[in-house]
Amino acid sequence: MKILTTIKKVVDVELTIRVENGAIVEDGLQYVMNAWDENAVEAAVQLKENNQAETTLVSIGGGEDNTKIIRRGFAMGIENGIQIDDPALAGADSFVYANVLQKVYEKGSYDLVITGKQAQDTDNGQTGIILAERLGLPCVSNVVAIEVIDDQHLKVSRLGDAGTEIVELTLPAVITVTDSINEPRLPQMRGLMMAKKKKIEVMDLAALGTSYDDVGGTTPKSQIAEFMKSETRTAGQKFEGDPAEITTRVVALLANEAKVL
Amino acid sequence: MANVLVVADIKQGVLKGSTAELLSKAKALGAETAVVAIGSGLESLIADLVSAGSDTQYIADDSKLELFSAGPYASCIVDAANQFGADLVWFGFSESGKAAAPRVAAQLDAACATEITDVMLDGDQIEIVRPAIANKVMQRVKINTGQLVAVVRAGAFEAAEAITGTENVVRLSAPAPDLKAVIRELLSDASGEIDLADADVVISVGRGAKDQAGVDLVKELAGDLKAGFGSSRAMVDGGFMAHNKQVGQTGKIVAPTLYMAIGISGAIQHLAGMSGSQVILAVNKDPEAPIFNVADYGIVGDLFEVVPILREEIKKLRN
Repeated sequence: MKILTTIKKVVDVELTIRVENGAIVEDGLQYVMNAWDENAVEAAVQLKENNQAETTLVSIGGGEDNTKIIRRGFAMGIENGIQIDDPALAGADSFVYANVLQKVYEKGSYDLVITGKQAQDTDNGQTGIILAERLGLPCVSNVVAIEVIDDQHLKVSRLGDAGTEIVELTLPAVITVTDSINEPRLPQMRGLMMAKKKKIEVMDLAALGTSYDDVGGTTPKSQIAEFMKSETRTAGQKFEGDPAEITTRVVALLANEAKVL
Repeated sequence: MANVLVVADIKQGVLKGSTAELLSKAKALGAETAVVAIGSGLESLIADLVSAGSDTQYIADDSKLELFSAGPYASCIVDAANQFGADLVWFGFSESGKAAAPRVAAQLDAACATEITDVMLDGDQIEIVRPAIANKVMQRVKINTGQLVAVVRAGAFEAAEAITGTENVVRLSAPAPDLKAVIRELLSDASGEIDLADADVVISVGRGAKDQAGVDLVKELAGDLKAGFGSSRAMVDGGFMAHNKQVGQTGKIVAPTLYMAIGISGAIQHLAGMSGSQVILAVNKDPEAPIFNVADYGIVGDLFEVVPILREEIKKLRN
């Protein structure tokens, strides 16, 4: 089984994000691998270890931070790495990403694509599903477990609205995974050292046999007009002291002031 | 005038409140409204679909559609969208919506947006607002295609009080099943439990509860208030709570009238899932816990002491 895993460089969501004049202030931001993509990498590596799968990752974007997350994927156990580095793709939307990934998929031969269920920067959750549509492949999103039946079939579990859905999937296919599927391993020192020596196959859109126009970059379906500050809640009244006294007080406030009890 | 097609949110044979909320918003925007309902045994829901505010009802009612499968589900919606000439296709916040929306958009060659909190129509121009980066920023997004498929964030729109529609049923034929992704089994969530998505009160338990006894204590409070009973990630990972109870960006996004965070410190992903609640009460031992930054009322204390008092005081209040 040949697996393609997609990984994305995202802003570290644990840090403070500032917005000025309709844009995010880049200064002081740090970048990491999208957390859900770490789950995707871990899922791929587990399939390598348990089912002799061959693993490849792909990341769209350039720069040192992007190289860093690819090396992290190597250190976790991924064997091959592809980087689509083309300045034209900065700020591309989910459809453009999916179109680029379609080209990557078609250039190789894969049985399974694993993506995180969404990226932490956009929180869109669309790319993997659109990619499956583009490729005409079956797709299961929000996957929490993968079981290999044979070379051509997987049994996957997804969290749906009515419960856990058990789906029999015929390969090739696309799945998007959520964080409860696994606990991504921390790369070990030896793995990180080895990862530095591994070659990354770097391509721009031309090398991929396409162009910015072809992947829909010049005709985006949507574009961000501006970023705004989030309507953040402000801290209300906080009570400390005798539990009986403050709890009684808060219940009275919930009933009389907030009128929600 | 825009045409808005709302995908009916049906769970266990019941039409959920989000359908009326989305139809109310569509009517407030001056749009023509239609609803598409997909499933099995939907006949009894048609009256509800009309009273929720739809003026056309596209019904795909077939035993083959009983269990959710994203492919056929999306095909039904595309069929309805094409027949209706939908400019906007809206899903309420649901896993089926998140799975189907990008497919529908790809098939219609429309734009796609998830978790939208507002829509602005100006002639043919559509703009939406949505959160990003774990709710840390908002985006205003311009739609260039003239057609948008969107998943609406829980609690974004309110149902109008005097909404009504007209009955105009259009039957859709059931699409072929997806033979490459076959749903074999549905392990149902425990029935009889209150759905987090439409509970007026949601009470979530976190690491502060320590173990099963702590979870049970908080669950009793939820029982008293007929509240939805949710969880932080820690208690799901610890095996104390089911995956489908997790409130947060990864699990359920809720916006109840009252949210109680009991023993939850308030990781960003959890906050992103509940900060749309109308009123938030937090109980936590640590006065510095980030949950207090979003709570309207905070009790600094041990939940094992505070929860029994909460139960007693609420009982007193109700008598």
